[in-house]
Amino acid sequence: MTEEEWTPKIVAFCCNWCSYGGADTAGMGRFQQPASTRVIRVMCSGRIDPLHVFNAFLEGADAVLVTGCHIGDCHYVNGNEKTQVKYEFLEEMLLQLGLEPDRLHLNWISASEGERFANFINDVTAKVKELGPSPLKPAGVR
Amino acid sequence: MVEVGDMLVGYATDENIRSRGASGGLVTAVLAAALEKGLVENVVVMKHINEFEAVPIITDDVEEVLASTGSLHSVPVNLAKYAMGRKVAMPAKPCDAQAVIEQGKRGMIDLDNTYVVGLNCGGSMHPVTTKKMLIEMYDIDPEDVVGEDIEKGKLIFKTKNGEEKAIAIDELEEAGFGRRESCRFCTLKIPVNADLACGNWGVIGDLAGSATFCQVMNEKGAKLLGNAIDAGRIEVQPASDKAIAIRAKVNSVMEDLGNTLEKEIFPDIPDEERMQYYMEQMEDCIDCGACKEVCPVCACGDDAKCTMFHSLVDNYKMSMYHMVRLLHLSDSCIGCGQCSDVCPSDIPITLLQSRFAIPSQRRRDYKPGMNLDTPPFFEVMLK
Repeated sequence: MTEEEWTPKIVAFCCNWCSYGGADTAGMGRFQQPASTRVIRVMCSGRIDPLHVFNAFLEGADAVLVTGCHIGDCHYVNGNEKTQVKYEFLEEMLLQLGLEPDRLHLNWISASEGERFANFINDVTAKVKELGPSPLKPAGVR
Repeated sequence: MVEVGDMLVGYATDENIRSRGASGGLVTAVLAAALEKGLVENVVVMKHINEFEAVPIITDDVEEVLASTGSLHSVPVNLAKYAMGRKVAMPAKPCDAQAVIEQGKRGMIDLDNTYVVGLNCGGSMHPVTTKKMLIEMYDIDPEDVVGEDIEKGKLIFKTKNGEEKAIAIDELEEAGFGRRESCRFCTLKIPVNADLACGNWGVIGDLAGSATFCQVMNEKGAKLLGNAIDAGRIEVQPASDKAIAIRAKVNSVMEDLGNTLEKEIFPDIPDEERMQYYMEQMEDCIDCGACKEVCPVCACGDDAKCTMFHSLVDNYKMSMYHMVRLLHLSDSCIGCGQCSDVCPSDIPITLLQSRFAIPSQRRRDYKPGMNLDTPPFFEVMLK
């Protein structure tokens, strides 16, 4: 096996209406970003259960991003406000568990903010690269 | 008539109940009267088996209520789940009362029809630890024990042949026995969240040992106590200022002790070592699910999200089941210690859980199970 440079695996949950569009715009605008993200599209960020985040970490994600529409722009009136409440508890819990704060992010990205999406991915990838593989990564998963 | 906020000292009128029940039999008499007068359909009481074992029973028979066991320090069962779907009156430690209210918030218990007679609690002990302690510290055969009591910080055991032996609780706890860990850092000693707050703290003078101090906390409590007086089951008199002061003093001493011990029980773990700590603690888990089964604030039922992840294939480095529970209970855990008690692998689950729940609740200036003004956080904010 050849030694390649380790790139982190990042799971990004994107809402159908804003941040997934943002990821699309980033691609169309040809903003450079590392191929470290695995995007999971959900209809609304409110659908993201803390359970999904746990599962991502346990299955080997080095970082998890929760993204959605800006507050007030939710396609489903207040879905992202619900995300915010859940995220607050989730973040507190994972920090207490001993996970580095840089491994979990919440960000609001609209469909037109392609550059913002690309920059966000760049930043997170750089930070996680410094941190190294997640302590929750199972043995044998790269 | 009894009014909300009244501080009373009372005892059962029936000589038999008064001498049998602990501290004047007031609680037993109140429960019996509630049943007799049809205020409730059932009463939850503990049926005595021996000094280390009692089973909760739901009964509509007054005789069984009268025959129930008094306070047992080594039977730390939480009664909240027995009140579900029934019109009951029940005795309750502060943590039972907390659990009843938490269940009420989640629509599992009809609080209007549930009467909670709170009992002061300085802490309870695990029966297995108690037996071991009797052999090692007291040099008494557990089979010979006929009674126990806590007085002035000392734990007293009485044996068949009339002997008494007392050892200070501090000393016992230093030796690794004594109260359960969850009771050591608990700071809710007087059940101010119940309908009636009863206990022997603040009973002084001639009545000491044969009467109960009783504070009426709300309308339901007034109704319950008034009912027992009307039925002729109990007699009450207003508590003196001195008695009230003594009760408050005992309470503040216990609270301070709880706060001091909390710092000892939860030493700070540096950020980078915490993950390792939790992994090591949880690696013995056999996924039996007993901790969820006994949890008195869990209202999810059989199809709970956490139990979907019981299988070991979901637990790569950490148990998914526990991760879900750690998050889910961070706003509702009352630290009652039931989960640690039943764990077959002896994982100190309550301590792990509290490390998440206590900071989370403090940050929001919230204590679960105290009143209905602050519903569960997820529910409030998700409306």
